[in-house]
Amino acid sequence: MNAQPGQDALQAALMAQADRAARIIPPLWPLSASVAVNPFLGLAGETLPMAAARLGRAGGIPVTMPRTFYRERWQTGEITPGDLAAAIANHPGAPDRVAVEAALAGDPAPASPIPTVAALCADATGIDWPGFVADRIGAWASGHFDLGQAMWPKTQAAGAYESWRAFATQDLSPEIAGLKGFCLRISREPQAAPAAIRRACLALGLPQAAAESYFTTLLTGLGGWAQYARHLQWQAERDGGTDATITDLLAIALAFEAALHAQFGRQIAEPWRQAIDAHAAPAEPSPDQIIDALLQEAYDRAAQRRFFVAWRPAASRTEPPAHPSVQAAFCIDVRSEIIRRALESLDPGVETLGFAGFFGIGVSHRRLGSLNGEARLPVLLKPGLGSFTCDVPGEAAEEKQRIGARARRAWGRFKRAAVSSFAFVEASGPLYLWKLFHDSVMADHRPNGDGAAPRLDASLTVAQRAEMAATILRAMSLTSRFARLVLLAGHGARLVNNAHASALQCGACGGFPGDVNARLLAGLLNDDAVRSGLAAQGIEIPADTRFVAGLHDTVSDEVTLFDREALPPSHAADLARLESLLASAGRLARTERALCLPGATGEGDVARRGRNWAQVRPEWGLAGCKAFIAAPRRHTAGASLAGRAFLHSYDWRADPGFKVLELILTAPVVVASWISLQYYGSAVAPAAFGAGNKLLHNVVGGIGVFEGNGGLLRGGLPWQSVHDGERLMHEPLRLSVVVAAPREAILGVLAHHPNLRALFDQGWLALFTMDDAGRLAGRYHAKGWTDVEIEQEAGPLAA
Amino acid sequence: MLLPCEIIQSASLAVPQFALPLLAPAILATAALFLLRREASAAKGQGPLAEIAAALALVVALGAAVQLALSGPATLTLLATRGFGLSVRLDIVGVTMLLLITFVGWVVLRFSRGYLAGEPGERRFTGWICATLAAALLLVCAGNLLQLLVAWIATSLCLHRLLLFYPARPAAQRAARKKFVVARLADAALLLACLVLVAGYGTGDIGTILAQARSGPVPAGSGWAVALLVTAALLKSAQFPAHGWLVEVMEAPTPVSALLHAGIINAGGFLLIRFADLLLTAPGALAALVLVGGFTALLGGLVMLTQSAIKTSLAWSTVAQMGFMVLQCGLALFPLALLHIVAHSLYKAHAFLSSGWAVEQVAATRRPGPVAVAGLRVVAQAFAFALALYALMGLSFGFADKSPQAIALGAILVFGVAYLIAQGLADAAPRALTLRTSAAAIAASLSYFLLQRFAQWLTSATLPPIPPPTALEWALIVLTLLSFGGVAFAQALFPHWAGHPALTGLRVHLANGFYGNAIFDRLTRGWARPISSLPTSERSPS
Repeated sequence: MNAQPGQDALQAALMAQADRAARIIPPLWPLSASVAVNPFLGLAGETLPMAAARLGRAGGIPVTMPRTFYRERWQTGEITPGDLAAAIANHPGAPDRVAVEAALAGDPAPASPIPTVAALCADATGIDWPGFVADRIGAWASGHFDLGQAMWPKTQAAGAYESWRAFATQDLSPEIAGLKGFCLRISREPQAAPAAIRRACLALGLPQAAAESYFTTLLTGLGGWAQYARHLQWQAERDGGTDATITDLLAIALAFEAALHAQFGRQIAEPWRQAIDAHAAPAEPSPDQIIDALLQEAYDRAAQRRFFVAWRPAASRTEPPAHPSVQAAFCIDVRSEIIRRALESLDPGVETLGFAGFFGIGVSHRRLGSLNGEARLPVLLKPGLGSFTCDVPGEAAEEKQRIGARARRAWGRFKRAAVSSFAFVEASGPLYLWKLFHDSVMADHRPNGDGAAPRLDASLTVAQRAEMAATILRAMSLTSRFARLVLLAGHGARLVNNAHASALQCGACGGFPGDVNARLLAGLLNDDAVRSGLAAQGIEIPADTRFVAGLHDTVSDEVTLFDREALPPSHAADLARLESLLASAGRLARTERALCLPGATGEGDVARRGRNWAQVRPEWGLAGCKAFIAAPRRHTAGASLAGRAFLHSYDWRADPGFKVLELILTAPVVVASWISLQYYGSAVAPAAFGAGNKLLHNVVGGIGVFEGNGGLLRGGLPWQSVHDGERLMHEPLRLSVVVAAPREAILGVLAHHPNLRALFDQGWLALFTMDDAGRLAGRYHAKGWTDVEIEQEAGPLAA
Repeated sequence: MLLPCEIIQSASLAVPQFALPLLAPAILATAALFLLRREASAAKGQGPLAEIAAALALVVALGAAVQLALSGPATLTLLATRGFGLSVRLDIVGVTMLLLITFVGWVVLRFSRGYLAGEPGERRFTGWICATLAAALLLVCAGNLLQLLVAWIATSLCLHRLLLFYPARPAAQRAARKKFVVARLADAALLLACLVLVAGYGTGDIGTILAQARSGPVPAGSGWAVALLVTAALLKSAQFPAHGWLVEVMEAPTPVSALLHAGIINAGGFLLIRFADLLLTAPGALAALVLVGGFTALLGGLVMLTQSAIKTSLAWSTVAQMGFMVLQCGLALFPLALLHIVAHSLYKAHAFLSSGWAVEQVAATRRPGPVAVAGLRVVAQAFAFALALYALMGLSFGFADKSPQAIALGAILVFGVAYLIAQGLADAAPRALTLRTSAAAIAASLSYFLLQRFAQWLTSATLPPIPPPTALEWALIVLTLLSFGGVAFAQALFPHWAGHPALTGLRVHLANGFYGNAIFDRLTRGWARPISSLPTSERSPS
């Protein structure tokens, strides 16, 4: 089909708008390696009220809690008049206190989205067309994106739109449901998505001015499918490519809209014209959306006040040991804070450190017997290194493992194929009597981590290894004062029967446990050749310092140590002592955590929790996270941060060019913001940004879940991950980032990274500085800094 | 060989003729009443009550097994006149089902206790599970038609409450509506069947009816009763074209799926096995079972291949397995059908409850690289190997005392085993892999033959012997062998044709289950605007 020049221009303009709409959708990683994503990623340049306006009209998605949530906290005094006043003062032109207090009494209706053609047809015909369209798109998409659940894969097709056309021209369901001539209609559609988008927009009478808003509405309406497509695009662009899946999905959604419009257009002519006008008008926050954003900010400030008062540096200060007997580096993950505190409390000779749990080793790792690389590094980065697990010498163990895996797969296919499934049931069904009993009583655990040690690709020279080690040690602020034994503890969660297991693993390791990275770094730092190279760079590791890798199981708080046989006998006593310390610290940590885990009867119960196949809340993950602190540990040690703070070790005096500061602000802080805002989104808008009810989860294609039969893929966190049945376990707060560094240095970094700066300027994160005495010093605003006196700023403390 | 009845005769203990099995439903019904009456109580959680009740019911079922072993098959009456009321048909069929349901019930209740912790309506959920279990237990131990009918209807109504545990979910309403229609049709068929039976045999006592059917002559109208029983069973066990509702009931928490697919769905199969003696008097009904069951088995098996959602795929697998079980009944292989019910229930309960592993399972299948492709020659080799294996097993276990029906069924299962062997031969597979898959194939065949023998030995005193096939049955056996063999052969060559463009349409139609649900929805206005479309996880206004 040859388009006219005018049509070409129209098509290009529409595709540009489609692309902008696509970028508002947050990416969704597959559950095999899922990481937390900021659901407001595409709106990070906007303020909260503006995001409320856009998401409200696109899908009726709230970005704050219902008014009653804030009202209760106001009435109990949790939010003080001082908090509210400070929030109002921060926004020139905001409604005054009287207006906000008056509004607190009301319960505004949630924002209603601008209706789609399908929604209008539902009103006109009494048939749930939006539900039907979601069901049909889900039926196709579950097969298209399937990574290996169905044995019969879909017919190969180049792109998503082409694959859908092949499906939709055969699928009789729409016609059975009453959408006349649908297959024929689709078979006459253009073969390429851009032309199909243009044609549908013309058929719908959509002016260009309304397109972007309308496209956003349609993509939002596709839920997790659009988010997964956005992930494919995100990944492709990170690696320097492009991916059109998300605009293909838009073309698909438009095809349904156009088909419904062709059949019912006359019945909905007037409301559809109004909807188009609404789309063409710019998004504008409503007074209620502005007030809710102010209340949220007051709530944030109230929480900051209580959090910082609870941790009063002067009172809590403990000096770190001058000559630590053990240094233990953990991931910055908030779950590490509890066990770090427990370790320090047991032995003053222990010093703990916090660093991103991939320990700077960004590898694509092949586990034993596997041909596929797993990207064990933050998703913001592209793996630059390869590593693999294998036993030396030769590949005997690897081959054995692979044959085992292939035999299990052959049995699995025997179990599922059309005729052999009957043979499977008759021959081995009775064995499940034992399996049912066994799993009901308590499932087994697999061992923590792979047995054999991982290795880096041999291609790296010693000089490159030493360079890498030096960069990592500097980023950890660990360049001197090495203890005899240094523990590098990654973390993972050992779970059974949990579709969202990867969401509880290490985000810095791309949704995998952190054992591989920790073991690789320990191996690197124990290598004499690397140490000589390090010495040449001015980092002198004493000869009697040894590094040992561990994996902290965040469900049971047990720490497994790896490759102990590689340590010299001289360190056997140190190792034994460390193990006993870790065991005691684990008990302390479990005792603390047992208090808020529903149904936990004590620390012993917490230790076994991950093995229960019926447990939907094995641990709380990062629920409750509210602060990110980059400072020397001495400023926070001694105070209980209740597992709510990301703790990154950072000493600005050892960072002359503020390169490490830049790294912290652009990588771990951004990752922490994604985590914090994912929890926030899953709490305030569970229907849009949460994965729904775990009890109904139906894993689809190995990538995600349906809630129930089918329809939309659901991203985000399950409701059970943020709620204990009675109350939200994650208070929907925006993260407070506290950095012990000079203000100018921080501004310098922000100036170079406008996207990062936008997060702070638009209020998605709050930024504070800490002075050399460990006191909170400055609060960042888009316009500059204000000095912080926490108690004074927020008014008198509530009891 | 020692038959169970001989063992029984050798036991000289006098066992009181007490309707012990009725204690099992009584215990669970009490637990249900307790939980449902306190549904709105302020106390948190549900405690271990239901789990303990199920464990006690399991002990009762074990007691019933001992009672059967000691006293032999009997009808134990608690409260009945003229064959109506509360009585127990104590035999291997009833006791097997009692054991199965109480065990699966215990597993499901124990699982639910952790799984639903903190969920609003937790007690209501557990209460209705207990009620459903009680009704199902009453059904399988029923000694008379009235009890059978009442328990049959009650099971379905209790299950309905569970399927609508989240009443506001439109998809839950849609599926439950379909289920409701099918179940009421099945109820009506069973009611009519019972009326015809009572009219014909002059009693409601199942044992008496079966004995008369076995010894003959059968009264007039008995054929109608069988037709109605078969209709009720086919509707209840999700046979084509009434299969649709079963694949859409993932709108209730996972334990409901486990209970449904491992327990309630067996009601149809149980009915067929319970009335086996009666069924044998109507060869036409058996032929219908072969045709409908065989077709459903193949359809369900093929549709399952196209399903990308784990629970949906498991549900289609249940449709197929129920079809296979119905096919076994149609071939008069009732002991094997009973074995199939038990084996499938245990497997399927586990598969649903452990469906959270699906993400890891898909990842694990991808790790060893692409699946090896078996060529035509390899597949032919695998089939030859499998048939040789079958011949070997047959010779060592004796084909001679086997009916043609049983031999044909064994052949079908061996076709399935051939697929396992083919995978181990495909594409220059390493020797070690070939050895492992071959060993698995031999183990599977051996296990199947032993289990089959065991089932036949165990039920020989209760279930009728397999009659020699008539001409019609011979035709059906050949048809079944050809169709299952053809599908098995095609499936082993799967990678060669699955992605072919010529099959795009077939794949789409299969994935849609040949539109059974789409048509049903159109007829029942399934897509009409829901009563309330609030997602369940939407936070409740505080």
